[in-house]
Amino acid sequence: MVIDFSSISNLPYEFDKMFSNVFNPQHYKRRNAAYPPVNIGEDNTSIYVHAEMPGIDIDDLDIAITPKDVVIKGERKLPEGRYFRQERISGIFQRIVTIHTDIDINKASAIIKDGVLLMTLPKASSTAPKKIAVEIE
Amino acid sequence: MIEETKTNRDMKEIDPATDIVETENGFYMYMDLPGVKKEDLDIDVEENVLVIAAKATKQAVDGEIFITQEFGSGEYRRRFNLAVVVDPDNIRANLKNGVLELFLPRKNATKPRKIKVSRDD
Repeated sequence: MVIDFSSISNLPYEFDKMFSNVFNPQHYKRRNAAYPPVNIGEDNTSIYVHAEMPGIDIDDLDIAITPKDVVIKGERKLPEGRYFRQERISGIFQRIVTIHTDIDINKASAIIKDGVLLMTLPKASSTAPKKIAVEIE
Repeated sequence: MIEETKTNRDMKEIDPATDIVETENGFYMYMDLPGVKKEDLDIDVEENVLVIAAKATKQAVDGEIFITQEFGSGEYRRRFNLAVVVDPDNIRANLKNGVLELFLPRKNATKPRKIKVSRDD
């Protein structure tokens, strides 16, 4: 069994981390969120999923869309060599984004630009808000 | 050999994650700059300090309302002190798919030289 005591033995660091988390919320989110970080947005017709994934080709990505969720799978390979400094994350990653709206899977699309993935998931026509005219008698 | 210099910086500025790989001819730096376009990237060398500054453009479709946001349109800035072995005049940069690749060549005089040993029989 492995028990992680690092938080006890490294208390000053943990306090520093807590402080920087409180005073720098953006930093906090970036460090603790799952990889890749995603932004999710919508408009009347579609749901948009943006994901930061610099250096990853669309060929290295495996995106599976089911009616309920989107699974982004991939592997980030870094160039080989003698590393003098390494901060970038590498390896296999997977992220599941749950969509609480019916989407039209056949019309979904994905592109990568400047290291940011954009998925467009059109909402199924039945879920688009419809205006119903109410007549007053 | 390539040291980072810390400065008082704005809270909104993000330290881009950077890898440095050493080779015989110089150093390769790889820096994650997602959402940055070529024209929003600024690389300067001043007095042997390499400054990389970039701005990520806002990633949003027209009329989009965000539900969850885990990353933003931040500014990236990072400074590195270059060692004397680096030739600052011949630094090459290439931005591809959100990754900045910099090549910092060694000065010719500091390249490791192979010395042939001859043997007298």
